[in-house]
Amino acid sequence: MLEEALEHLVKGIVDNPDDVAVDLINGRRGKTLEVRVHPDDLGKVIGRGGRTAKALRQVMTGVGGRGLRVDVVDTDGR
Amino acid sequence: MSTPQSSTETETALPDADPVDADAVVEPVDVLEDDTTDAEDTDGDEDDEEDDEEDDLLVQEGDVAGDYLERLLDILDVDGDIDLDVEGDRASVAVVGDELTTLIGPGGATLEALQELTRLAVAQSTGTRSRLMLDIGGFRAKRRADLTELAGQAASRVAASGTAERLSPMNPFERKVVHDVIAAADGVRSESEGEEPNRRVVVLPAS
Repeated sequence: MLEEALEHLVKGIVDNPDDVAVDLINGRRGKTLEVRVHPDDLGKVIGRGGRTAKALRQVMTGVGGRGLRVDVVDTDGR
Repeated sequence: MSTPQSSTETETALPDADPVDADAVVEPVDVLEDDTTDAEDTDGDEDDEEDDEEDDLLVQEGDVAGDYLERLLDILDVDGDIDLDVEGDRASVAVVGDELTTLIGPGGATLEALQELTRLAVAQSTGTRSRLMLDIGGFRAKRRADLTELAGQAASRVAASGTAERLSPMNPFERKVVHDVIAAADGVRSESEGEEPNRRVVVLPAS
């Protein structure tokens, strides 16, 4: 449910919705939602000054609880 | 970028347009950070004479926003209805329901975040920056009523005493509500001061 919610939120704001993938990782320090998007969409998901990423985190922790983390994974092969 | 206030804002001259302008004009630099509710008009230059198309656009904004939010409610298995409206020059979207507190968040923080994301989704779909207002569970409506009362009382005190009053820090939506009330009151005027998230309205005696 959480993955699907975040995936929906992100798909709506990017140029390449088909390239959006969200994984829920159950780690020792709690749950993390890992978001992967098309490299060209990284800026959109992060936003000016991190504003969009912050909004995504706010919504997801509101829904999934304080301990839930949201990571935007930089897949732009370094 | 340095002049985000397009002429559209003043020409469409809604009664509530002044305080937004005032807010922006006092400290133009702040406009960039302030655009969660006011001043998202950087790309408004091209739509001066296209009122009908603008209305259509607002309806379209509401439709996109409604779909985006409705799908979110579905996924989260939250009951809620979406009300769409146009208020002045903005699309207005309200999620109505009984169990929406998780989507409002502390002090409306989640609501603000959802509004931000919904605006982005609308912009992604329409290609035009959106200033739509989102309400969830009547949170903004109640906040608006409370702030209207608070601002009215401050206006009376300042008009009577001639002494300026600094109000508590507020977000852009809240400041706009207060500015609108002060603008309509006699013997007082208002300014904003400080930086987000501690930006606040100052109520002053009219000079």
